[in-house]
Amino acid sequence: MKPAAFEYVRPGSLNEALQALSRHAGNAKILAGGQSLVPMMNLRMLHPAVIIDINRVPGLDAIRTDGDALVVGALARHSTLRDSPIVAKHCPLMREAYRYVAHKPIRNRGTLGGNISHADPASEMPAVLVATDATIVVKSAKGERKIAAANFFIGLMQTALQTGEMVTEIRIPIAPANQGWAFEEAANRKGDFAMAAIGATLTLTGGVCSQAAVAVAGMSDRATRLSALEALLERKPLDDDLIMRAAVLAKSSVKPDSSYHADVDFKRDLAEALTERALKNARARCK
Amino acid sequence: MNSPHIPKHIPSEGYIPQSRQREKPRKDYKWIGKNMKRVEDPRLLTGQAGYIDDIKLPNMAYAAVLRSDRAHARIKKIDVAKAKALPGVLLVMTGEDAKKVTGPTAQFASPPVVQYCIAVDRVRHVGEAVAAVVAENRYIAEDACELIDVEYEDLPVVVDPEQAVHSTGDAVLHPDRGPTNLAYRKTFSFGPVDDDFAKADRVVERRLRWARSGAQPLETVGAVAEYHSGTGKFTVYGNSSFVNYVGWLVGASLGVPAHKFNLIPVTTGGSFGSKLFTHKVLTLTATLARACGRPVKYMEDRLDNTMSCDNHGSDRIYYCKLAVKNDGTILALKFQVIDDYGAYLQFGYGTHGNSLCQIVGPYRINSVEMELVAVLTNKCQQGAYRGFGSEVTNWMVERMVDAAADELKMDPFEIRRKNFIRPDQFPYVIPTGNLYDSGNYPAVMDEALRIADIKKWKDIQAKGRAEGRCIGIGVATCQERSVFSATEFWSLNPLDTPGFQLTSSPESTQIRIDPTGNIQVTLGSPFWGNSPETIATQIVAEQFQCDPGNVNIVYAGTDSAFNSTGPGGSRFTVMIAGAIVGASVKLKEKIRRIAGQMLESSPGDLEFRDGKIGVKGVPGMEKTIGEVALFAHYFRLGLPDGDEYSSGLDASYVYDHPLTTMPAADRSHLGIFYPIMGHMCHMALVEVDPKTGKVKILDYVAVHDAGTVVNPMTLAGHIRGGTAQGIGSALYEHFYYDENGQLLTASFADYLIPTLDEMPAQIRVGHVETPSPFTEYGIKGGGEGGRMGAPPALTRAVEDALSRYGIRVDELPLTPRRVRSLVRATEQRQGRTPGI
Repeated sequence: MKPAAFEYVRPGSLNEALQALSRHAGNAKILAGGQSLVPMMNLRMLHPAVIIDINRVPGLDAIRTDGDALVVGALARHSTLRDSPIVAKHCPLMREAYRYVAHKPIRNRGTLGGNISHADPASEMPAVLVATDATIVVKSAKGERKIAAANFFIGLMQTALQTGEMVTEIRIPIAPANQGWAFEEAANRKGDFAMAAIGATLTLTGGVCSQAAVAVAGMSDRATRLSALEALLERKPLDDDLIMRAAVLAKSSVKPDSSYHADVDFKRDLAEALTERALKNARARCK
Repeated sequence: MNSPHIPKHIPSEGYIPQSRQREKPRKDYKWIGKNMKRVEDPRLLTGQAGYIDDIKLPNMAYAAVLRSDRAHARIKKIDVAKAKALPGVLLVMTGEDAKKVTGPTAQFASPPVVQYCIAVDRVRHVGEAVAAVVAENRYIAEDACELIDVEYEDLPVVVDPEQAVHSTGDAVLHPDRGPTNLAYRKTFSFGPVDDDFAKADRVVERRLRWARSGAQPLETVGAVAEYHSGTGKFTVYGNSSFVNYVGWLVGASLGVPAHKFNLIPVTTGGSFGSKLFTHKVLTLTATLARACGRPVKYMEDRLDNTMSCDNHGSDRIYYCKLAVKNDGTILALKFQVIDDYGAYLQFGYGTHGNSLCQIVGPYRINSVEMELVAVLTNKCQQGAYRGFGSEVTNWMVERMVDAAADELKMDPFEIRRKNFIRPDQFPYVIPTGNLYDSGNYPAVMDEALRIADIKKWKDIQAKGRAEGRCIGIGVATCQERSVFSATEFWSLNPLDTPGFQLTSSPESTQIRIDPTGNIQVTLGSPFWGNSPETIATQIVAEQFQCDPGNVNIVYAGTDSAFNSTGPGGSRFTVMIAGAIVGASVKLKEKIRRIAGQMLESSPGDLEFRDGKIGVKGVPGMEKTIGEVALFAHYFRLGLPDGDEYSSGLDASYVYDHPLTTMPAADRSHLGIFYPIMGHMCHMALVEVDPKTGKVKILDYVAVHDAGTVVNPMTLAGHIRGGTAQGIGSALYEHFYYDENGQLLTASFADYLIPTLDEMPAQIRVGHVETPSPFTEYGIKGGGEGGRMGAPPALTRAVEDALSRYGIRVDELPLTPRRVRSLVRATEQRQGRTPGI
């Protein structure tokens, strides 16, 4: 379990990083926290010719607000985000989802930018970003693009990132103060990748659901929204019966793949159970 | 001693040998039974222990192994040209190359199943070694592995053990051994099974499935080997637990006599019952070192270990029948067991020999019949893993007892109590011929109930159930056989090919007292992660009534050790105590003799007290051990002539198994082979989420009877660790091969070891002490304990938690997926969620 030989580049600025990425187009990998990349290199599942270590790029780990957006730098560590009062206030769904993310040593190094660039379908953060209609800001030597989270995750460990591009920041719309949220997950052990996870936000206006966002992870090749379920909820009184119907709809509308740990039937069962719990918890948090 | 219980089919005359116990159990120990801190800890906790991977010899090179990605294939061609040409590569070796210099690896099956340290002609499981590379560093060695081209011709893959019985043609793994993957099939009958079944009111039947798992110490198996061509001698550093038992066999594979192969034990980074032999790594590394003329280090990486180790545990299917009366009396047990041994048969059927030593559990079961069906499949070979097969039969027997309780509508505690062997029935010979030396099973259960506070548990359960929660209580009362005898390895072998019928499993020590009176103890077994030094120190301190700080422990390699077996089969504490007592008795005799001269007293009037030897009843008339030692070392002319006064103070002793006999020639019984019988009662309180299948352990109690306890603290730690492994086997861990023979759970992302988060907040441990009448001080072994009781307790607790669904648990591990599928089956049958 030793990686194949690679060239190591450590840029001191974002510009240098983008230049290096451009220079080694297609042969380079960005090293942020390294929590997925390095094991894959050690297992020789990846043989990158060049590693561009962005850990010395200044300012890339900032967490701030900008108008109506919470802005997270690509290099912000999971531990920092998990404990950040700014995140807790403006994206409580992310804060809640972090209860399920990995283990402390991994969170101490792993980054949000690296996590979403890796795009593991069972990872929690893609579901959070899809549920919150976040925007992913990517840069290359040629310029900048903004990509909606829903369009960023395009397949199994595949993103809309093009050769020479890297994620620089993630912009998440600030959650309205009256919005409820919940994140529910089933994993074999604490910190394992999700067999199924549901992230939800809800807004109630006089007991009627005026907004619903429900995202699922761990089910198929990427995190997705359950739009049929959202449509079922919207403009209806959010009682237990409706939630049960939504949960049943979740069960039938997910398209699970099968693995040793969770087969299709089990994933459907989990989608139902977790949707029910997530919607009830989110409802309880609505103001 | 009571008059023994011996079944009618066993000739009772002289069946039980006399006890050779010298040290009777007492109440007034100074060091035995005390919670002494581990003497190993300072160097371990400060990172100074030094493991295999810390060894660096001058000019040392590094090995990596290319492993098969096929489960079953002929090796058509291996092209190593590109790998050899890579700068920094010293040697590339295929199985064909290795076979020219090194013979088959050591194994105990009869007839043998031939295995080499690198596959020859065909690969039989994913992960089998296909070629090895030695290079200037491990990076280059792994680069070179990627450059080796292997041309395979795929063969049919055999994964399902029940299907393996019917394999023919190219699907047969070892055609030289016959046209079948059925390695062995034989029925063993002990006592009047048919008569007992005829007497039954009811026969309880179950099919049970125990999944393959294995220990995962942080340190994998490794070796550093050096071959000195001038002397023709190997020096090998290894982390095997059985250094002095099997070291010579690795030498034999290499084609050198034992005195040309010195195996030096290195502090082991954890074994957890997995590093008994490690012979494949030792043989391979030594082969590479001799071939390339430089010292070689080979450290398995995690995938090397999970895919090709020698410690995958039992992998069994049981078809069981339990004959019971309506009042809950258990009469007889009959079963067929199909065991998936994987691609090779390292230990023969030893894991079933082992199982039969306590196959009736703690119960008065009059007769037993086992049909053993051993099969070979395209999986990693089985080996030894904590429990060595008896953890599985403990689970099987307890499953059957729970099943009987359910069918008879009896309380699980009550049916157990009703069938317990009574305290006045020991020594008790079970139908297979093994002896249970002593025990008090009701007392162990009572202590568990007391610690658990069963009333509180039942309140929690009732309250939870009223809220719709699924809370369950499970109990297991299991045997904890200790001190294995080597007959278990071969007693089930075919009578016409009995194999190597070894009967020795000794342990030895050498004790030397230096001129200053400090005591150095040499162990012939290595440090494998537990507390051998602490235990030995406490016993030596007890023998000499000295301070433990005056005792130092060292380890001997094969060049200098006396006959020793090593830790395994829960034997070490009992056996090293026997060796220490034997050596101490000799040494104390000499000290008495010399002190008698110094004090002008008769040796018989002297006693050991507080680091001194003095005249009984005369305070102050005494010498320190140091004064006697100095005299013994340097003042020879102050003592009489005669060898008994020769200079120095040292003694060695080889302690043989305290109580073992031969199997009957016709195997109508297997003799006494695992008689030092401990016992345990495990109780689990769990909550199950029926929607997600998740099991949470709310409380856990483990009470063990390991006879006289040398160190309650370290034994409790041992019980907790074993329980953690039992939790793993019951709820999480599975080496799962898909239909193509791919190991889907090779990495720790998928092979799920319980972590701190999955463990109960505490495992509450209790000790009951029923001393053995056969061992020194009455000590019993407790080495494998926790893992042998946790799976049945947890299985029952989950079943009880889900009682409203009417499910039966017949298969492990109880992963969320499996639990949920059991619940779903009930929901689909009933069309709704019951009881909520």
